[in-house]
Amino acid sequence: MNSKQTRRRTLASMLLIVIFVAIFVVKLVDIQIIQAAAFNEESMGKRSIPATIFSQRGTIVDANGVILADSVMRYNVTISPKNTKDFLRVTDRADVTITPQQAAVEIGGVTGQKPEDILKIVADALAANPESDFAYLVKGVDVDKFRALNALGIPWLYSEPAPGRSYPNGSVAGNLIGYVGQDGAAQAGVELTSDACLAGINGEEIYQRGADGVRIPGSTITSVSAQNGSSIKLTIDADLQWYAQQVLAKQVDATGAKWGTVVVQEVKTGKLLAVADYPTVDPNNIDGTAEANRGSLAFMAPFEPGSTIKALTAASLLDAGLADPTSQVYAPYSIEFPNGAKVHDAASHGVLQLTLTGVLEQSSNVGITQLGEALSAEKRYDYLSKFGFGSTTAVGFQAESSGILHPWQEWDNQTFYNTMFGQGLSTTAIQVASAYQALGNHGVHLPVQLVEGCISADGTMTPTPMPEPTQVVSDAAATTTVNMLENFVTKGWIAPYISIPGYRIAAKTGTAEQSDGSGSYSTNYVVSNAALIPANDPQYVVTVTIASPQSNGSMASPPVLRAVMAQVLKKYRVEPSPDASPDLPIRF
Amino acid sequence: MSAVTAVRLSNPRRGEEAPAISPQRFRVVTTRAQRKARPRVFYAVVTMSVIFGIIVAQLLLSVAVSSGAYEISGLQAQNRELDRTHQSVSQDLDRLASPQNLAANAEALGMVSNNTPVYLRLSDGAVLGSPVAASSDAGVTGGGTLVANALLANVPLVTTVAAAAAASASTQPGVPAAEAAASVPAPVVPTGPVPLQNGLPGVSTH
Repeated sequence: MNSKQTRRRTLASMLLIVIFVAIFVVKLVDIQIIQAAAFNEESMGKRSIPATIFSQRGTIVDANGVILADSVMRYNVTISPKNTKDFLRVTDRADVTITPQQAAVEIGGVTGQKPEDILKIVADALAANPESDFAYLVKGVDVDKFRALNALGIPWLYSEPAPGRSYPNGSVAGNLIGYVGQDGAAQAGVELTSDACLAGINGEEIYQRGADGVRIPGSTITSVSAQNGSSIKLTIDADLQWYAQQVLAKQVDATGAKWGTVVVQEVKTGKLLAVADYPTVDPNNIDGTAEANRGSLAFMAPFEPGSTIKALTAASLLDAGLADPTSQVYAPYSIEFPNGAKVHDAASHGVLQLTLTGVLEQSSNVGITQLGEALSAEKRYDYLSKFGFGSTTAVGFQAESSGILHPWQEWDNQTFYNTMFGQGLSTTAIQVASAYQALGNHGVHLPVQLVEGCISADGTMTPTPMPEPTQVVSDAAATTTVNMLENFVTKGWIAPYISIPGYRIAAKTGTAEQSDGSGSYSTNYVVSNAALIPANDPQYVVTVTIASPQSNGSMASPPVLRAVMAQVLKKYRVEPSPDASPDLPIRF
Repeated sequence: MSAVTAVRLSNPRRGEEAPAISPQRFRVVTTRAQRKARPRVFYAVVTMSVIFGIIVAQLLLSVAVSSGAYEISGLQAQNRELDRTHQSVSQDLDRLASPQNLAANAEALGMVSNNTPVYLRLSDGAVLGSPVAASSDAGVTGGGTLVANALLANVPLVTTVAAAAAASASTQPGVPAAEAAASVPAPVVPTGPVPLQNGLPGVSTH
């Protein structure tokens, strides 16, 4: 062999080796560097699962910490229609084959569905897509049912967790709390208006799992951790709210009325202690209530208030210095004013010689209009606006009504007089309560408060920002008006029905005709009462409103007022009044 | 060219036969320097066993980690189950504490409410207010709870449960009394203070 041949062979083989190595290097670079990300993702996708870490929506608690709305884990039950076949159940005695029909009966026994409906869901899903692997059976099943379904051991049944809401006190404050839809989105009430505070943010983590579902150690990557929502504290007292709802419901049913509300507000702070509506919604069972009744009538349903406004007209007159409790007026049953307006009282009577106190005691429209015309429309409108009428309250409730208070320039001759006794304007029950709160609080009107604040997980409370209080009438005017209203309770027709021995009570009733929507009044009327207790140093406003009672008429609301007042006095341990109500002359 | 080995040739003068020498009997003998340079068995054994040990340890560790993963999975499942039990029981507690349930039970047990608040001033025993006796039919809810709570749909009143337990206990005398008592505490009518026997219970000291 000669060395040249040898060298050539060596060179050729070296070249071949180099070529092969180069090919491998190129392929390697391609896989490891250029397409690395895509391959990684694909392999991760086959093995890894993004799992949602559910956050908890914040709770809603009442003034004492009683939980009104709570976050719970519910479960959506799903089936795999293409796998709905017979399966073998291993029991102690023998292995039993369970057919889908038998399984449907068992499932129906737990969820309450009919077996035919369950099989129909399977059939529908397969009809739409023969390879269907997923169909909802029932959503929002609670823990006990979920466990019962698991115990059945049906392989084609799978439940996925879905956070839900539970309202342990049912419809107590249900009108205020609102409710949450199937997907967890707030739909009404405080749940909706305070959603920014309550809502949590779900987290996500990705981990790789083995074939049997166990997490591969060291492979957890938490992308985002969950942030729980903060809780909302209401000013409502759940027990008082329940009591008010119970008493109101009983009376509205007994008198065949359309609806009713009860409002209890703290005079010195403006906080709402109870806002009861009837009919009202149970957030656990929204479908059980008509859609119109799923909100809060106290906030959303305006009505013409009637004679309860007379007290505010009297306070305005006192504040303007145009009258005092002994101002005298001759009050016939009906009167026609020079500008053509006609006013008459509720019941026929002769000419009465009434003082201003007597006008309130008799609830005489003729009396109040004669005394009230001394005050100009502009000033009276000003007082009514400052008392809170014509604008929404500081609560900002969902779909809250501002009522209707036409600008004084638009008042016609009749409206000029009608607004003195509460017709010709419309208000919500909350607005009436808030106006009486100003009367009881030495003329200082405080903003109405429903939500105390937002409490974060570490306990820090962010109080709700509130506007400044305003002085509507002078201290003297307010206190004198309260004293006049006490005389209504001690000397008026209502005395035996709402008196509570040992306590001074200031109250006013109202029976207001409601408009029929086309410019005149219908036969519907709204009976309302407003009271300040104890009148020597008012601490609570209680108002009761009942719409269109079929029986009892003006007597529909006083029993409710008395019951709620007594409950408030008992609950908050209000001291009995040290002296008797002042005796102001009602006749001259 | 093959190496020339020293071959003992036959010595013709002495007349000896050449000895029959086979090539296998020739050995390459190592020099001392070469012997020193040869690796010792001992070190090889040590290295191999260390490598083997590392491999075994790694295997054991990965077994432990994997079994740890299964343990974690099992504990997490247990945690979830306990969470569910906690939620189920909390929900039961909350619904039983709702005012509707309490009022309905209070009324079923015969309690009445009095709506006339009266105060007793402890300093001098004065009664502030005018006491009015509660009427026996005042009730707590005044005739059925009208404040709905869908969560109370299947929750029986205390008296219903007690009556059912008493009925079942009387119809099945064989049922052990403990079972009936454990399901509901039957309302006990107190007949006065329980008399003490043998004085107050005390701890015997030495």
